[in-house]
Amino acid sequence: MATLVTIIVFILFLSAILTGGYNKELMDRFRSHWLWDWITTVDHKKIGIMYGIGGGFFFILGGIEALLIRTQLFYPNNDFIVGRAFNELLTMHGTTMIFFVAMPLLFALMNMIVPLQIGARDVAFPFLNAMGLWFFIAGGILMNLSWLFGNAPDAGWTNYVPIAANEYSAGTGIDYYVLGLQISGFGTLMSGINFLATIINMRTEGMSFLRMPLFTWTSFISSALILFGFPPLTAGLFLIMFERLFGANFFDVAAGGNPIIWEHLFWIFGHPEVYIVVLPAFGIMSEVISTFSKKRLFGYTSMVFATILIGFLGFMVWAHHMFTVGMGPVANSIFAIATMTIAVPTGIKVFNWLFTMWGGKIRFTTAMLYAVGFIPTFVMGGVTGVMLSTPPGDYQYHDSYFVVAHFHYVLIGGTVFGILAGFYYWWPKIFGYKLNEKLGKWNFWLFFIGFHLTFLIQHFIGLFGMPRRVFTYQPEDGLTLINQISTVGAYMMAVATILFVVNVIYSYRHRVPVGNDPWDGRTLEWSIPSPAPFYNFAQLPKVRALDAFWHEKMKGNKEMEPAEPLGPIHMPSNNHLPIVIVLGFFISGLGFVFRSNEVGALGLIFAFLMMFVRSFEKDHGYHVETDEVEKVEKGVKA
Amino acid sequence: MEQAKPQQESQATESDAKHLASFAVMIVLTAIAFAAVTMDIVPPAMVVPLIIGLAAIQVMMQFFTFMHLDFKKHRITVTFIFTGLLFGVICVVALKYLV
Repeated sequence: MATLVTIIVFILFLSAILTGGYNKELMDRFRSHWLWDWITTVDHKKIGIMYGIGGGFFFILGGIEALLIRTQLFYPNNDFIVGRAFNELLTMHGTTMIFFVAMPLLFALMNMIVPLQIGARDVAFPFLNAMGLWFFIAGGILMNLSWLFGNAPDAGWTNYVPIAANEYSAGTGIDYYVLGLQISGFGTLMSGINFLATIINMRTEGMSFLRMPLFTWTSFISSALILFGFPPLTAGLFLIMFERLFGANFFDVAAGGNPIIWEHLFWIFGHPEVYIVVLPAFGIMSEVISTFSKKRLFGYTSMVFATILIGFLGFMVWAHHMFTVGMGPVANSIFAIATMTIAVPTGIKVFNWLFTMWGGKIRFTTAMLYAVGFIPTFVMGGVTGVMLSTPPGDYQYHDSYFVVAHFHYVLIGGTVFGILAGFYYWWPKIFGYKLNEKLGKWNFWLFFIGFHLTFLIQHFIGLFGMPRRVFTYQPEDGLTLINQISTVGAYMMAVATILFVVNVIYSYRHRVPVGNDPWDGRTLEWSIPSPAPFYNFAQLPKVRALDAFWHEKMKGNKEMEPAEPLGPIHMPSNNHLPIVIVLGFFISGLGFVFRSNEVGALGLIFAFLMMFVRSFEKDHGYHVETDEVEKVEKGVKA
Repeated sequence: MEQAKPQQESQATESDAKHLASFAVMIVLTAIAFAAVTMDIVPPAMVVPLIIGLAAIQVMMQFFTFMHLDFKKHRITVTFIFTGLLFGVICVVALKYLV
């Protein structure tokens, strides 16, 4: 207690000294600081950028974990990282990459681009949006604190019971996983609902559902999947939390429980999750391929239909992750056939991308390279997917490196390529300058070759019999050379990632401002200045066709036709409550991890108190006056 | 929202009849459920599935007549509700038979 008081007094002194003595202006000084502006922001573009920074940070962390795993597997009988530490690495790598890299980076692009593409000034619930961001950051930090305090989760990213129950995983390890994912899951659910409401309600005049750009469509469907897919995860995590913290018996067979329940709940969420992270990437690819082929997307309506169908079928196939559990031949067959069906809409998409390029005027920018590299890579991942969906085959492939190769082909070849293409493509819209194309091409080729070097060979590692999640192999297994090739590929990908960071810094220091429309784009976001002003559209545009901006350009118009006269713009005001509420949940999570129920309860009480405060807040936002809008627009044009 | 008001008033008379009709149907459905349990008309193994089927019909009638769920006005909301219901039912049935 005495230490705590000392620290508080010390912090007060320090802040008094740093802010120039205690006076009434202390709060004003805080408020005028740029950091305060970012912490309290409700602007979807700033939130998108912060999602990007957070996701990028965890991408580096997850990447380091992957490198350590591959380094350990470089030699047979290597003792660099063994046993429990290796299990912790592979668990944290998987969990981080799915929940704290793929999802937030896609949310980054969705936040930055979707409102611009549908002609909206903001999202439907800006407060909720900010809260979603802070929930993600709190969850990610909470889980990664386990590295600092020791005892990281080590039951695999699927966290199967009974290995994850107290009996076999004593200590705090799994609790970081459970509470970290629970907290970031709240945020994801909120953001998903927010995007559903935004896309349904906030489209500008003329932007009918079948005129929405494909990235908006795929974001819409993947938000719907979040809405239906995350509640089972939340429920499952609650079960496992009560089992671990409060001694419940949901999974204990001796007490009448059943461990298979967790596997079902996890995969009822887990399979849609795969589509949640890959569908927006499909959307990005559709935009990029259509823009850089200078053609309308081939078969737009069938693309929309395929997206909806993939989303729907995504919920009917979860048990194909559990063929070897022993559900019986009937259930296995049903789920096998349902799984194979998904190849049909995905095939529709692949052919549409190819036909979009066919006869187009193709420009191989970095974004386009990623999109073109994505097609064969993803098809290979899809083919191994169909192989795995056959139960007799699956009994052979199960838990081998073949599976590892398969899901890295779809997750890196699909999602990561999509995210990188999206960043190269939309960077000028977000920051006002392009990323360097020369470095970009180096980045692409290194990443692409490194990726195939790492994972193509892993199919064979698996077929030669190496199980996944093991920390070593024997020299006589004949796996040494192929494991070494795989590790070299992983280091190439690491170099490529460093090159991307270099590119970001280099492009910032040598930035050349670009105009509204550097790529000769087709959709609404290219009709407004780069970077987009904080109110997005001075006048909401009137959409007259699919590829609205392209339509106007073909008609000889330089700008979109406005749907409203120039007038005051209503904007939401910044709010510090999202981060404060999330802080309560974070403290609560940390308390429960350390098995201190008092701290856990106090954190929750604090969070709900802050929500109570929020519900009595009378803040209706503010208006940007017409002359200010005119001033900003003139400044941009000059 | 305000434009919808006069429309609702014009519908008031016809919805009275609709309400009464669906009330009657629901009474009949409930009676069938009671009869199925007490009177040995249906084979015992079929009683529970039958009652669940009747309940599903009743819930739909509740939604659309008494709770004024209007597909035409709230197409997206209704689609989402029923998609969620469908996924929920599939998962529950699967868990019942697979676990």
